[in-house]
Amino acid sequence: MRSPIARSISGAAAASGLALGAALLVIALLAALMSSSSGTATVTNYMIMVVAVMALAIFSGNSGILSFGHVAFMALGAQISATLTLPAMLKASLMPNLPQAIGQAQLGFAPALLITMAVVAAVAAVTGLVIRKLAAAVAPIATLGLLIIVNSLIIGADGVTRGSQAMYGVPNAVGLWIATGAAVVATIAASLYRESSAGLSLRASREDEAAASAVGINVPAQRMLGWIWSAAVAGAAGALLAHYLTVFSPKDFFFDLTFATIVMLIVGGMGSVTGALLGTSLVTVLIEILRRLENGFSIGPIAFPQVFGFTQIGLCVLILAVLYRRPEGLLGFAEIGRLFRRRERSTNGAADAGPPAANAEHEALEVSGIRKRFGGLTAVDDVSLSLRAGEILGLIGPNGSGKTTLLGCIAGNIAADEGAIRISGRDVLGEPAYAIARSGVARNFQSIRLFSNLTALENVKVAVLQIDRAAGLREAEAKALRLLAELRIETLAQRRSGDLAYGQQRRVEIARALALDPNFLLLDEPAAGMNEAETDELLSILEWLTQRRRLGLLIVDHDMSLIMRLCHRIAVLNKGQLIALGSPAEIQASPQVREAYLGRRHARILETAIQPSKD
Amino acid sequence: MKLIRFLLFASLFVLGTGVAGARAEDTLKIGFVGGQTGYMAQCDQPSLKGMQLAVDEINKAGGIDGKIKIELLARDSRSEVAPSAVMARELLDQGVTVMISPCDVDHSIAVVGVTAPAKVPAISSCASTPSLARIGGDYMFVNCTPDNLQGAVLGKYAAAQGYKTALILVSKDTPYTYQLPIYFSQAFEKAGGKLIGTVEYKLGQQDFAAEVTKIAQMSPAPDVIMTSAYEPDFPTFLKQLRSAGVNSPVLGSDGLDSPTIWSLGSVAEGVVFTNAGFPVPGSRLARFGDDYKAHYGEETQTVFNATGYDLIKIIEAAVKASGDKTDGQSIRDALDNLENLQIATGTITYKGMNRVPIRSVALNKVAGGKKTYVDTVTPAPADVPPAQ
Repeated sequence: MRSPIARSISGAAAASGLALGAALLVIALLAALMSSSSGTATVTNYMIMVVAVMALAIFSGNSGILSFGHVAFMALGAQISATLTLPAMLKASLMPNLPQAIGQAQLGFAPALLITMAVVAAVAAVTGLVIRKLAAAVAPIATLGLLIIVNSLIIGADGVTRGSQAMYGVPNAVGLWIATGAAVVATIAASLYRESSAGLSLRASREDEAAASAVGINVPAQRMLGWIWSAAVAGAAGALLAHYLTVFSPKDFFFDLTFATIVMLIVGGMGSVTGALLGTSLVTVLIEILRRLENGFSIGPIAFPQVFGFTQIGLCVLILAVLYRRPEGLLGFAEIGRLFRRRERSTNGAADAGPPAANAEHEALEVSGIRKRFGGLTAVDDVSLSLRAGEILGLIGPNGSGKTTLLGCIAGNIAADEGAIRISGRDVLGEPAYAIARSGVARNFQSIRLFSNLTALENVKVAVLQIDRAAGLREAEAKALRLLAELRIETLAQRRSGDLAYGQQRRVEIARALALDPNFLLLDEPAAGMNEAETDELLSILEWLTQRRRLGLLIVDHDMSLIMRLCHRIAVLNKGQLIALGSPAEIQASPQVREAYLGRRHARILETAIQPSKD
Repeated sequence: MKLIRFLLFASLFVLGTGVAGARAEDTLKIGFVGGQTGYMAQCDQPSLKGMQLAVDEINKAGGIDGKIKIELLARDSRSEVAPSAVMARELLDQGVTVMISPCDVDHSIAVVGVTAPAKVPAISSCASTPSLARIGGDYMFVNCTPDNLQGAVLGKYAAAQGYKTALILVSKDTPYTYQLPIYFSQAFEKAGGKLIGTVEYKLGQQDFAAEVTKIAQMSPAPDVIMTSAYEPDFPTFLKQLRSAGVNSPVLGSDGLDSPTIWSLGSVAEGVVFTNAGFPVPGSRLARFGDDYKAHYGEETQTVFNATGYDLIKIIEAAVKASGDKTDGQSIRDALDNLENLQIATGTITYKGMNRVPIRSVALNKVAGGKKTYVDTVTPAPADVPPAQ
């Protein structure tokens, strides 16, 4: 039996991490062999930048939230680690107001590094309370605020810090090999995190926050985790830099460094660890070339004089060119690990290794007295419904009758004002969407909301991991493959889901919903936009799944023939109220329903016109 | 794959150009790591132009003592610490035996951290924080008018004007804006004055209403207000101060040495500030201005042209004093013993000063929309407050 840690390591991630780590080692070896002191210094700086960019990649790359705040964590890392390692005598003169215990302490670099990472992580945990709740569009501004606040605090705390003055005399504890070791560890860690359950969940939230909640991902919690973890790495980068340069001041950890790290991340590709490393390498190499050209050079008889500024201009041109040609960076979301990935395929089809049927005979989803108002409009007005296992309940009604709102209330995306929603007897009203998803109510959305930049397999896998927390990545992947097979799209597993055809995307979405082992499935217009053949195929799959899995299905659709063919019972909403509930035949015969759809006069005309042919 | 090939080619190129140049006996290689781009460019760029002028002049005359040619190797630190250290290593590899380091303290410390083990002295192009020399160690020299020297001159001047009480406006955001006013207050109190208030501001602050109100409410008003604020803070502060009816005279330091200040109009009338030198007609500085214009075809715009020029002249003097030796240790020792050297901006003495020079300091006054000459002072070492 493999250990839980081994089970949670993805083969592809390990391959990526090891390949990138090996590349870093080769670079360091070359630098060591060249034995030019400026070359070694350049490579050491590069390695420390790799750590800093990896920190950014861990949070921004996976969450999609660009952080301007990680340099603040670097500043804290430099400040705290230097305070711990400085000789006590020097400390007394540099920072006279330090607490006695800290003033007297003089630690080695390794323990100082660990303490620094822990303290920075704690600071991140506090600031994360704000960041995790903000919308992805607003959060970067908050991180910018963090950068400015931390900078001001360090300057303002003169006496405990050095204020705006240079902190000097920091022991020179970091050289080429320690920096390289740190870069390798950070790169492997970033690769593993990206493919881990937590990293995958955070990436899903980057693609679509609402859909992520709907598959059971606690988005704020995942953001918090990524934030804290990346902050600790950034803190380490700051500590490394301080103990390499031996001198620094607060202004060294401000906008310039923020800009430099973000450029490195974006040029290579924010969504990929390989990209982050490539970006850091490319920018470093380009700077090294340009700054040499700056010193003057000659092509044949033409001599160019020394002109400063090439480097900065060249960098800006690089950024513009990359963003123009490849808005998602050079590598986009690709990882080098893909190259090594074994073409693994689940050999078992859906038929032989089917999922265990849910023991759901006694399960029921009960909605009673739900009411939801938007300002003066009552979108859902005192609706009560119940859905049993194995039942397909259709929910129909004219546009604006409140179907999607009701679905949202049940799924927890919209908070109902009144009423109760019981899943197998437990009232879940007011619980967040991810909690309801984990209690066995899965949903899809009116328009497709896949995690576009994730593969079809990852889309399903991330949902499996939410419900089956103990599962290793391989088990989750196997289950996800089975689900894709059940929906007959297992051959598309490794494709980027955003590239799939419409009908295929719908199936991925259903597979993703089924990954939660739901007892109930809420489908909002599952056949919308499908052609007839696709619809027929979908219908047979849904019928088959309800029979096999004994799922309770709540389907909203405008396609009457689909609803009539598929549903056992149909509920009709009009202006937020439930106006009819019964078998398809009863609903078809109901005058109120016709009235709702056609208006009273037309309903009468139609009634008389079609009544004879019905029999 | 193209990309990989590019990276390979590029790294070979980078590694290939790191080869050290040949060493020549009759050449002095001076390195200058400065912020040619980034926030330090406003000081380090004009410094470099001044240095180049001096190098051209000396080489045209056959070199130092007519035989040692100077080769000036300049590198852009991009106003960042880490590249500063890298560039310093690179220049050392190329045989530089005296290094001019960036304008800022931490950058200079990073550079001297590289050069000191090779016994190569580093002189900061224009850092004025006096503690730099102590922090950087035996191979670190300050060149530009140190903060405590300016504070000493201003403090003594204020007392000589009969001012009894002073207020300082400081910003903790930089050592210059924080400590120079404190040096002033120390010198002022030593000369019999009394500091009656300290008001703080943030660098780049848009509005000084709160600070000005505090000052306006003081009763009695301070006899003099001293600050090391510069653009854009100083003009904003001064305008609000005067419109609040505070008419106490205002003293400033060399950050005010800019045409923007004396073209502020009546509001700046009477502001007195220190700088490295005033081009009194017939003086060395005036002559430097003419030479500069003849060489570059434009007027010198900032004092950093002259201080850069002076730096090369100081190194020249040290080489001469060492008996034409060009190794780092000899230059360091000779620098440390320079005394009363006449340079474009006045006089400079390193002897006995622990690598923080005593220089002549000029007092300027804004009058009629122009910078006018008040006095040139060389403080006695005993009157200079110790570096913080």
